[in-house]
Amino acid sequence: MTAIDIDQSLEALPARPGLWRRLPRDSAVWISGATLLAIVLAAIFAPLLAPYDPYETGQPPFIPPSFMDGGMPQFLLGTDNQGRDMLSRLLFGARTTLITGVLAIVFGGGTGVVLGIASAYFTRLSTPIMRVVDVMLSFPAILFGLAFAAVIGPGTTAVVIALSIAAVPDVARITRSTAVIIMGQEYMEAGRAIGLSDGYLITRYLALNCLGPVFVFLTLRFGQVILISAILSFLGLGARPPYAELGMMASQGRDALFFAPHIAVIPSFAIFIIVLCTNLLGDSLRDALDPRLRNS
Amino acid sequence: MNNENRCAIAALALAGLMTATAAGAQSITVVREVDSDRYDPHRSTARGASEVLFMLGDTLVSLDYDMKTIKPGLAESWTQSPDGLSYVFNLRKDVQFCNGKKMTAADVVYSIKRWIDPETKSPVRWRAGKVADVVAKDDYTVEYKLTAPFSELLYQLTQSFAVVIDKEDVAKLGADFGVKGLNGTGPFCWVEWKPRDEFRMKRHDAYKWGPPIYDNRGPAQVQEVVWKIVPEENTRLAALMTGQSQITQYIPYSGFRTIRANPNTKLIGSREAFWTYFMGFKIDKAEVNDERLRKAIVMAVDQGAIAKNLYFGEVEPAYSYISQQALDWNKKLDATLIKTDVAGANKLLDEAGFARGADGFRTRNGKKIEPVLYSFTGSTWQKLAEAVQGDLRKVGIDMRVQLFDPTIAWGKMATQEFDVFGMSYPYISAGDALNLYFRSANVPTPNRMNWKDAKTDALLDKGMTAVKDADRAEAYGEVLEQVHNAALWIPLYHEPMKIGYSAKLAPLKAHNIYGCGLYKGLDIKFVK
Repeated sequence: MTAIDIDQSLEALPARPGLWRRLPRDSAVWISGATLLAIVLAAIFAPLLAPYDPYETGQPPFIPPSFMDGGMPQFLLGTDNQGRDMLSRLLFGARTTLITGVLAIVFGGGTGVVLGIASAYFTRLSTPIMRVVDVMLSFPAILFGLAFAAVIGPGTTAVVIALSIAAVPDVARITRSTAVIIMGQEYMEAGRAIGLSDGYLITRYLALNCLGPVFVFLTLRFGQVILISAILSFLGLGARPPYAELGMMASQGRDALFFAPHIAVIPSFAIFIIVLCTNLLGDSLRDALDPRLRNS
Repeated sequence: MNNENRCAIAALALAGLMTATAAGAQSITVVREVDSDRYDPHRSTARGASEVLFMLGDTLVSLDYDMKTIKPGLAESWTQSPDGLSYVFNLRKDVQFCNGKKMTAADVVYSIKRWIDPETKSPVRWRAGKVADVVAKDDYTVEYKLTAPFSELLYQLTQSFAVVIDKEDVAKLGADFGVKGLNGTGPFCWVEWKPRDEFRMKRHDAYKWGPPIYDNRGPAQVQEVVWKIVPEENTRLAALMTGQSQITQYIPYSGFRTIRANPNTKLIGSREAFWTYFMGFKIDKAEVNDERLRKAIVMAVDQGAIAKNLYFGEVEPAYSYISQQALDWNKKLDATLIKTDVAGANKLLDEAGFARGADGFRTRNGKKIEPVLYSFTGSTWQKLAEAVQGDLRKVGIDMRVQLFDPTIAWGKMATQEFDVFGMSYPYISAGDALNLYFRSANVPTPNRMNWKDAKTDALLDKGMTAVKDADRAEAYGEVLEQVHNAALWIPLYHEPMKIGYSAKLAPLKAHNIYGCGLYKGLDIKFVK
């Protein structure tokens, strides 16, 4: 019998190209990535970048952006109906919106991954978990938001909880479908045969192999979460005054839509840009990680 | 692009959100913000209920446009005993309900007894006064007996809570009374109510007993009135601009200019508008129990800026707890009302020992001054809360804002959890407002301030039981002075009554009874 040197065999295989090299060379990807990075950095460093206190109401209200007629150079994006600097509120608003989205994705996505993997690995749990997920799928996120706002009062916490719960079923389904395929692979059988523990198999093989598709899905989902978060805030269920949030800022601009449209348009445009950038990035990641698309 | 064009484009875009309403030549659609939970006059206190009930039913007496003069209604005349304990109402003999049944004294007696019956659990039972009995002396004479004089009785009897109802109708409908129907004597009759969508009523053809404040005393001059719920204010404006609605008083302040400029729409107002927005302090909570802190907070709020920036100068900044035009307002207080004075507020806080910390916020005894405000979700209170919050930051007070959906806000505001609450309210006089909010017996709600003062109670009793107008005004004037001096509220603004209507309609006159601009609707008609 000939002994096979596994390490040598692996070295003989052609190296997989890195993720960065697999990302499309489409300039839109890099522009959207750079834009998103700039927005994230601006949000992180909002306290340093904001020219004014975002909650200070002393300035004249309804001043248009400085590049429009009637604008003032000291207020680059103008002021809102309470006389607060729009640029400062935009920076802080983006911060709240992004934090809400990230928290919802982390909590909701994390729970969904755990449920999806558990239902695929422990087959006895599959039916009860997936039926619960089916029930959750039947509730729209906005309904969750309303219910939580009614119980614990409107605020970022209610929005994060609602969005997290709303994200669970989709993520659980995607994870489970990927995990079920991986469970059919021979290396999983081999792992069981040589006596590897459930924990080891799940963490070292199952979870790691599921992460790619799930990560792509979460990236795409992030844009939707931001959008729903903005909708909930627009409906008055999000951040509490005076904290800025992009959806809430757009809502506050409705009263002045006919004569000071910048108050609603600027935060709405920011939401549009964030969602567009995350969707473009998500699409590109999916293309890069999907072997069928890559080969074609 | 001018405002009118922009409005038209917005209307087209938003039209899909609205159910099409065919506004026939004799049908008018009134758009409004919220619906009522029911239309039972004794159980519904919302303005949304009253504006419909005034059209479905009638009251013994009516109120003139000046909000002070009592006029005949179902009673063509009345007498009051010298001791103020008995009122005798002589009813009209030609009144009938929508189903054709004649209205008699028995219906009036039943209506008032149901109103004050503890089993009805009417939240506005006190408005009927301390009733000894209500008896029908004959088919068209009612005697209203009191155990104590009630100087405001006639004003209270003009309100929708005093609408005369049909006993048989109440018995027939049971729990569905005011939900599936109400047989009234008003200028319009109940057709259909789709909750949170629309209320449809048709003309009461036999009606001819309208209040004498109208040139047309009946029947109504339009065949049908449809009250349509349109929660979003710009959509309501667009509905009016595009003719989907012919009348509304629920117009965003930003839209007044647009309505005035548009040749197809008109705007009418009433100076006698008694609806005030305010924030009240729960005065037995830590820190806000200090009168100096409360006064400083009131001084820090810039009502003028609120009126100008948030409401485009269309509302009247409030420094008084009731309109200075209202019955029994104490004119001596005009000169002493607390006005905006940020420097004065800072000085007062310094003197009271509220020191500013490194973060700019004040503390006392190591505790940061951060009063919690409870109010309603929705653009109005969000804007107001933010404006007051911003003003208070300037004097180092970090007000925490918690806004709740109206379905749970009332319950939250019945608790002792908050330091400040935000609310608005209608009233017809000083006595109406003061008896509601400042009586010890009304703690914890509607006296959410927990203001318990024996002198106030005695003065309110004196005002309520006064037989002479001057005695009543003096007693209520003293209470007004007492509560203003104690800085129990932050008055914000007095809401004007403004009605936008189509130029296809004949000129209207705005009423303001309980904030209901159309009142009986007898003057609504299309221009020929």
